Amino acid sequence: MKNTWQTGLGLVTLAAMVAAVYMALVGAPTEAEQGAVQRIFYFHVPCAMVTFASFGLVAIAGALYLWLGSQIWDDLEYAAVEVGMVFCTLVLITGSIWAKPIWGAWWTWDSRLTTTFILWLIYGGYLLLRTFGGDTPQVARFAAVVGIIGALDVPIIVVSVRLWRTIHPAVLLTRQGEHGLQDPRMVAALLISMLAFTTLFVWFLSLRFKMLRVHSRLTGLKRDLALWQAAGEGGR
Amino acid sequence: MSQPILEVHGLAKLYGTTPVFSGVELKVGPGEGVQIIGRNGVGKSTLIKTLAGLIAPTSGQSLVFGQESRWLKSGERRVGVLAHQSMLYPNLSARENLEFYAELYSIPSPSECASQWLERVGLEAAADKRVRTFSRGMEQRLAIARAMFAEPDLLLLDEPFAALDGDGVAMVTGLIKEAIARGRAVLITAHAPMELGGLRFEMLELVRGRLAPYGEEGRHARLRSLSAG
Amino acid sequence: MSGFGAILRKDLKLEMRTGDSTITLIALSMLILVVLVLAFNPAEGRTGDLAAGALWVALIFAGMLGSSRALVAERDNSCILGLLLSPIDCAQIYAAKLAAAFIFMMVAEAAAVILLMLFFNLEFGMKLALLAPPVILGALGVAAVSTLLATIASRTRAGDLLLPVLVVPIFVPALIAGVKASAAALSGATMAELLGWIRLLIAFDVLFVAAGYLLFDYVVVED
Repeated sequence: MKNTWQTGLGLVTLAAMVAAVYMALVGAPTEAEQGAVQRIFYFHVPCAMVTFASFGLVAIAGALYLWLGSQIWDDLEYAAVEVGMVFCTLVLITGSIWAKPIWGAWWTWDSRLTTTFILWLIYGGYLLLRTFGGDTPQVARFAAVVGIIGALDVPIIVVSVRLWRTIHPAVLLTRQGEHGLQDPRMVAALLISMLAFTTLFVWFLSLRFKMLRVHSRLTGLKRDLALWQAAGEGGR
Repeated sequence: MSQPILEVHGLAKLYGTTPVFSGVELKVGPGEGVQIIGRNGVGKSTLIKTLAGLIAPTSGQSLVFGQESRWLKSGERRVGVLAHQSMLYPNLSARENLEFYAELYSIPSPSECASQWLERVGLEAAADKRVRTFSRGMEQRLAIARAMFAEPDLLLLDEPFAALDGDGVAMVTGLIKEAIARGRAVLITAHAPMELGGLRFEMLELVRGRLAPYGEEGRHARLRSLSAG
Repeated sequence: MSGFGAILRKDLKLEMRTGDSTITLIALSMLILVVLVLAFNPAEGRTGDLAAGALWVALIFAGMLGSSRALVAERDNSCILGLLLSPIDCAQIYAAKLAAAFIFMMVAEAAAVILLMLFFNLEFGMKLALLAPPVILGALGVAAVSTLLATIASRTRAGDLLLPVLVVPIFVPALIAGVKASAAALSGATMAELLGWIRLLIAFDVLFVAAGYLLFDYVVVED
């Protein structure tokens, strides 16, 4: 039953992504000042949105795991971090591609990009913890704590980096076109893209979550088998 | 039989898929004692720690006064544990160690309590020396004092006679007898059955991850090896 | 609150006896300052920025080391088990370890600031007085975050390497606020100008001390 939902979701995602790509590349008019490269904005912003949302999901799943102890929440949290990391990386890459032609540099210390980079580092730390820590309930608890701490930090990071950037007017880089979307087709492209990337995230998440669930169930079964065997042996 | 102090149901611990013990059932009431015999490395220490709530069991429950020992975290904590690790601060003196723990347990006059217990375990002479300088036997005496000073209702002692000389063994036996007389529950582990000055403890054996009455497993093992050979 | 007091006093007593933590932290802080000053060799007039930056690099590393040391005291003979068996809340253990790490760090930071005064010919007065709030708040923040994460890292393979990877990104907002406030203080700004950064530091501290307090239970118990 889960499979048909997933396939359905996959198809919806495909349709939405096709629509988004069309709108971004063809439907929306070319922006006056930045030219064609501005179109990457329609992918960059939704990816960022999804990344921030994933942090929230990680914190909630982590808190539920610590509170209720059910492995499902841990699997959801881990899946959310992995998929969130992918989108976070995309934000950085698309941001870089956008920056080069506009400002002549692959990296700008713009407040949003810097914030995203820090979030990327936090996710990276989480994944390293999971990798080095191994596959025990103790590490799962540790990871949940790190996820919650990371998510709590996000608003403070955003504020501090923004304050940091406003003190350097010489290096201040404004993003034109972000809040000044004149043409309604541009707004439409952005909205469709946001929807498409959200469904993409949910679809990836469901795939990864399913894989982790299978792994967890298998581990649980192996443990139950070991217990049962131990019980059998002693009884003799 | 009055309400048991320690009640264990179906307790099992796995590390990965390797079982340390499973299906452990126990009931120890006030004034009762249990001895668990087992070879080195068979899992006695893990069992003690799981009973105390220091390690989470894979399944089953360990209940102290009806509450799961894992989450027993309040002034209600009435379990004294002697483990392989001494839980003593090497750079504090024996007296300072006991006084520190006495403060944690909100004992009204920590220094008096510390002095009393140092005397009972025969460490008055070395009371103000740092634990780092202690011999293994002295450390064991202090660790026993640490486990028992707060007058806990349940005593879980992992190999309490290890590293002790004749005097030490007599001293610990005396302390255990006193605890039983006062209505505590006592569970000790050992690698061979210990003579406890006439006290009648339930004798159990931890073999291949199962807890069985002492003696039965040994008989079964011998029968099996006879039929094989 | 007796547990908190007892544990903190015990840690301070141990520290007075061995001096392990404070001496290494002072040495580490001073070395970091020296290295950074030599490496950057600032032009006249730009010293405020370098001093602030160096101070905070030293603070972060001292913080991570200080927290690890405060926790290490419980590893010998598994004393942490003794604490967990006692009637004391895990939260009180966290508070005590946090306070110990903070105190060790403040000793090291004081030494660092004195060194800074020598290197950059600063005088006592308003500048240094205004330096105190960001440094104190920053030390509290890094101690709060580090104590929680060091407990995790100490139980993980390659934990020594993992700790900075976890702590530094989380600490970035406080780092930004702290360096900016410190640099401003050293260039003669008024308290009013620092207020924005100070508020950020306070928010960071409140958030992470509270988070540590609530979450420590989940990281300190063994499995």
